[in-house]
Amino acid sequence: MPLDAGASDNGNQAFSLIAVDHPAFVWPEAMAKPTAARAQARTELYWTVPYVAVVVFAVAMLVLVWVLQRQETEIQRNAIARDVQWAEQTMRLHMQGTEEFLTQMARDLAAGSLDLDNFQLRANQHIANNPQLINLVWVEPGEVVRWSAPFDTTDWLAGDVLTSTQTVAFFRAREIGRPAYGDPYVNPRGEPVLELYIPVRHGRRFMGSMVAVYSIDQIVRHLVPSWFSEKYRLALIGPRGDTLAVNSSVQALDESVAYAIALDPPANGLMLRATAFRTVGAIPRALPTIMIVGLSVLMLWSLWLLRSHMRRRVRVEKERDRLFNLSLDILSILSADGTFRRCNPAYERLLGYPVDQMPGRPLLDFVHDDDIVATIEQLRLLANGQPVSFENRVRCADGRYKWLVWSINPVLDEKLFYAVAHDITGRKATEEALRAESAFRRAMEESVVTGLRAIDLSGRIIYANPAFCRMVGRSADELVGAMPPFPYWPEEDIPRCQHNLDITLAGQAPPSGFEMKVLRKSGERLDARFYLSPLIDGSGKQTGWMASVTDITEPKRVRAALEAAHKRFEAVLDGLDSAVFVADARNDEILYANRAFMALHGFDVIGRRARAVTQPQPELGDYRVDPRKLQPADVPMELFDDELRNPLSGHWYHVREQATRWVDGRVVRMGIATDITDRRQMEEMSRQQEERLQRTARLVTMGEMASTLAHELNQPLAAISNYAMGCVKRMESGDYRQDDLLAAMQKASFQAERAGKIIRRIRDFVRKSEPRRTAVSLDEVVDDTLGFADIDARKAAVRVRRDIAPKLPPVYADRIMIEQVLLNLVKNGMDAMADTPEDSRVLTLSARVVREGLVEVSVADRGHGIRDEDAERLFTPFFTTKSEGMGMGLNICRSIIEFHDGRLWTEANPEGGTVFRFTLPVEIAGERNARSA
Amino acid sequence: MNGTPEAPEQIIYIVDDDEALRDSLVWLLESNRYRVAQFASAEAFLEAYHADMAGCIVLDVRMPGMSGLELYECLRERHATLPVVFITGHGDVPMAVSVLKKGAVDFIEKPFSDRDMLKLIEQCLAAERESRSRVRQDAVVARRLDLLTQREMEVLELIIAGRLNKQIADDLGISIKTVEVHRARVMEKMEANSLAELVQSVMTCEAARGRFVD
Repeated sequence: MPLDAGASDNGNQAFSLIAVDHPAFVWPEAMAKPTAARAQARTELYWTVPYVAVVVFAVAMLVLVWVLQRQETEIQRNAIARDVQWAEQTMRLHMQGTEEFLTQMARDLAAGSLDLDNFQLRANQHIANNPQLINLVWVEPGEVVRWSAPFDTTDWLAGDVLTSTQTVAFFRAREIGRPAYGDPYVNPRGEPVLELYIPVRHGRRFMGSMVAVYSIDQIVRHLVPSWFSEKYRLALIGPRGDTLAVNSSVQALDESVAYAIALDPPANGLMLRATAFRTVGAIPRALPTIMIVGLSVLMLWSLWLLRSHMRRRVRVEKERDRLFNLSLDILSILSADGTFRRCNPAYERLLGYPVDQMPGRPLLDFVHDDDIVATIEQLRLLANGQPVSFENRVRCADGRYKWLVWSINPVLDEKLFYAVAHDITGRKATEEALRAESAFRRAMEESVVTGLRAIDLSGRIIYANPAFCRMVGRSADELVGAMPPFPYWPEEDIPRCQHNLDITLAGQAPPSGFEMKVLRKSGERLDARFYLSPLIDGSGKQTGWMASVTDITEPKRVRAALEAAHKRFEAVLDGLDSAVFVADARNDEILYANRAFMALHGFDVIGRRARAVTQPQPELGDYRVDPRKLQPADVPMELFDDELRNPLSGHWYHVREQATRWVDGRVVRMGIATDITDRRQMEEMSRQQEERLQRTARLVTMGEMASTLAHELNQPLAAISNYAMGCVKRMESGDYRQDDLLAAMQKASFQAERAGKIIRRIRDFVRKSEPRRTAVSLDEVVDDTLGFADIDARKAAVRVRRDIAPKLPPVYADRIMIEQVLLNLVKNGMDAMADTPEDSRVLTLSARVVREGLVEVSVADRGHGIRDEDAERLFTPFFTTKSEGMGMGLNICRSIIEFHDGRLWTEANPEGGTVFRFTLPVEIAGERNARSA
Repeated sequence: MNGTPEAPEQIIYIVDDDEALRDSLVWLLESNRYRVAQFASAEAFLEAYHADMAGCIVLDVRMPGMSGLELYECLRERHATLPVVFITGHGDVPMAVSVLKKGAVDFIEKPFSDRDMLKLIEQCLAAERESRSRVRQDAVVARRLDLLTQREMEVLELIIAGRLNKQIADDLGISIKTVEVHRARVMEKMEANSLAELVQSVMTCEAARGRFVD
C-alpha cells in the first residue's frame, strides 16, 4: 500500500538520519586507540634512543679521558721513579764524598797530622763546598766535642757532651768501625739534622769520631738540580714516617704521581720521596670531562625541550584533527584543478558521500546544474589567487540538493584551495519562507487601503505604509524620520495637530481617534481619521504609537452633502409660501409640516389630526380614491389637485394632495396648499395689461414696421414702373411681340395687387392699436420712463434732471402710450447731445400744470438744436436727421399726443439745444363718467 | 464709343433678391436692347464672376445673405473694374452716400424712373468701355516699348523731352547719324507715323509714364 510504503520510507529516513548523526557523538580518537598506543610506544622508543646514545657517548668519552689520564700518570710515575733514583744516587754520591773526606780527615787525625788549624781549614772549605753540611766536628771518645767547624757554630761547642741519641750513633760507629749515621733529629735551632759518625782509630786506639752534621733541609734543597725541584716536591721521610724536610711546599702536588726510595748510605730508614707537582691545574684536567658531561646534559636538555615541543605540536595537531573531524561544516582541501584532496567526515554526514571516496573527484561533479556557471566563475577567481565566498547547491548522495555557502582560500604556493562549506539549506528555506512571508506582508501592506503610520515615543515617524504615503502624496523616504511638525500637517492646522500629537504621546488619545486635515504634497487637503494604538515590540515593551488613518474626505463630503441637501430641502420647504404637510393616510396624524403650514395652522400641529387642522381641505368624497384604503404598492398616486377657497378668509388656495410612501414605508398623504389669491388677481390684472400692451406695442413698433413696409412697398412699385416703361419702350420702337407685352402687363398688375396687400396689412396693424385712457400719475410715468432710459443715459454720459411739480393731478391718458412718447423724446434728446461736451449733457424732464385741466410736460436737451428748415419738416413722416433713424418717431408721438387731445411742439432751448413740449388733459371724473356713459 | 471690333459685348448684370423687381428690370433693359444677366443673390454673382466681364452691375443694397455693399467690397478686393449702380430703398441714402465715396459709379433710389435708370446704365457702360480701351491701348504701347533697346529707350526719352537730334547726339556722345538711325528705329517699333503721335502714345500710356518718371 502506498501509504505504508510512505510511512516506512519516512521511518527509514528517520533511522538513516539518526544513523548519520550518530557517529558525530563518537570520539574519532577512541576508534584509533590501539594504533595510538602503539604509536605512543614507538614514539617513546624513538625518544629513548637519542637519550641512550647521548649517555653512552658521554660514558665512552669519559672512559677515554680516564684512560688517557691514567696513561699520562703512568708515564709521569715512571719518570718520577727514574728521577728519584737519579736524585738518590746524586745524594748518595754526595754523602759518600763527605764520608771519604771525613774518613781522610780521620785518618789524618789518627796519624796526628791534623791539627786544629788544619782541621778548621779543611773543614770550613768542605762545608763551603757542601752547603748541606752544617758542622764538622771531632768528638773525643769521651763523647766530648774537641774540635768543631765552622768555628762560629753554636751547636757544637768544644766541650759539649753528646746527647743520648748522638751517643747511640757514636757508639755504633765505634763498634762497627765504619761510618754510621745517626737517627735524624731536630736540633735546638729547630732544624732537622742528620749526623754521620766516622770512627777515628789509630791502630787499635779509638780516638773518637769525626761527625758531619747534615741539614736535612739542605740535602733536599741543594742536592737536586733546579729542574727537579720544579717538577717534584722532594721530601725526606723519617723512619717513623714523619716528613723531615721538603724542598718546596708552595705548589700543589699530584699525590698520584709520587715515588719513595730508601736513602742508602744512611740506611737508617730514611726515605726519599718525590711527589710530582701538578703540571696542569685540576680544572684544565677535568675540563674534557666537564665539557663532555656539560655537553651531554645540554644535549639531553635540548632533546627534552625538543620532545616537549614535539609533544605540544602533536597535541595541537591532534586537536586540529579532532576539530577537522568533528566539524559540522564541510572542510576540504581542493587541488588547483578543483578536485578534492581531502575532506572531513562532515562531508559524509552532510552529503552522504564516503570521505575516502572523495579525493580525486572534482567539486563541479556535485554542483547543481544551475550553479555550475557561477561556481566555475568562482573557481576562476580562486585560480587568480582571490579568496572567494559564494553559495551554491550541491547534490547529496541521495539525489537531493543542499545549499552550501563556501568560503575558499587559495594558497597558490601549494596550488591548493582550502575550502569551508556551511550547510545553509535550512537557512535558505528559512530565508525563502521569510521572503515569502515578507512578500506576503508587503502585498498585504500595499493592498491595504487604510494608512498606517508609526511614530516612536519621541514623535518621530518610524514607519508609513504605502496607503498612508498615497494618502499624503509623499514617499515613505520623505516621511520616515520626520519629526513634528510633519510635512502633511496643513500650516493653518499645526497647533491642533501638535496638540493631538501631544495627547497621543501622553497616551490619552481618545478611542474614537482624531479627525484631522491632511495636507497632500499637491497642496490639496483631505480629511482623515487617526485611530491610535500603542506599538508593542517583541519583548512587550512599548516603542511608539501606531496610527491607522482612514481617508474620510469622501464620507465626510457625502455626509456634508447629505446634510446640505437636507438643509436645502428644509430651507426650500420652509421657504415655500405654500403650506406643506405630510399626514399618515390611515390615522391622519400629521408627520411633517413646513413653516408656512405651521404659520397658518399653529406651531404645534405635528402629531395632530390633519383633518381637524387643515383649512381648506378637500372633502373625502373629492379624492380620487379613499386615502385610508391605499396600500404601499399603490403609491405614489395623485389624490387631489384643484383650487379651493377658504370660506373664512376668502383666500384662494391651490391644493394638491398626493399619496406617497413615507421614509418609514407607510403610506402617507402629502398636501401642498398654495395661496393663489394674489396670483389670481395678478393674473387678471396682467391679462388686461397684456392686452393693452400688445396693442400699444403694435402702434409703437409701427415706426420700424413702416420702414420695412415702405421698402416692401417699393418693390412692387418699382417693378410695376419697370414693366410699364419696358412696354412703353417696346411699343415706341415698334419692335415687340404682343405676347411679351401681355406677360409684362400681367406681371405689373400682379405687382400692383401685391402693393395693395401690403397697404392692407398696415391698416390692419394700426386698427388694433386703440389706446385705453385712464387716470395716470405723471410722476409714475416719468419714473418708469427714466427706469427704461437709465442704461442709455449712463452709456451716453447724460445726466437726467427731474423737475416734476408737486401734487400734480393725474392726467387722463393711455399710460403705455405716454410712456412711449416720453421715452422717444428722452432718447431723441440724448442722441442730440452726442456731440455736446460731457459735462453739459443734461436732460431736463419737467411737468407742471399750465392752466386749469391741462398739464404740460417738457423734455429739454442741450444738443445741436434744430435748424429752421428742419423744424418745419420735423413732424412729417419719414423725416430724420439721424443716420439710423427711421423718421417715424416724432410723427407717431405727435399722433399719440393729438389723440390725447394734446399738442406736441418744439422750441429752442435758451441754454442751447431743443425743448420738446406736449400737453395732456387732467383727468376729470365727470369726463370719464361721461365717456364711459 | 468707337466700338472697336475686338471689344467684348457689354452685359448688364442685375443682382437682386426680389424676383419681381429683377424680372421687371430685365424686361425694361431688354426693351432698351441691352444684354442682361440676372442673379438672385450676391453669392450667385460672385460664383459666376470673372475678370473678363464687361458692362456694369446693377446691385440691390438690401439682400438677405451677403448684402450689396459686401459684394461691392469683395469685387474691389478682386480689382474688378466693373462700374456698379446701387439700387437703394428709402432710408438707405446715407449708406449709399458712403458707398459712393468709396468709388461706386452711382446709386438710384427706389422707386426710380426708367429714364434715370437708363441714363445711369448708359453712363456706366460708356465709362467702362473707355477704361477698357485705355487699358488695351496702354498694353499695346507697353508691348511696343518693350521692343526698344536700351539705347533706343534713351533716345526716345530725349525725344520726348523735346531735344533735337544734335543735342541728343551730344548728350549721348554719339554721332547725329547714329541718333537718326535710332530715331527711325524707335518710330518704326512704336508704329508711330509722326513725332506727335509717338509722344502722345507714350505719354498716355500709364506704364510708359511710370518708366519715364525717373
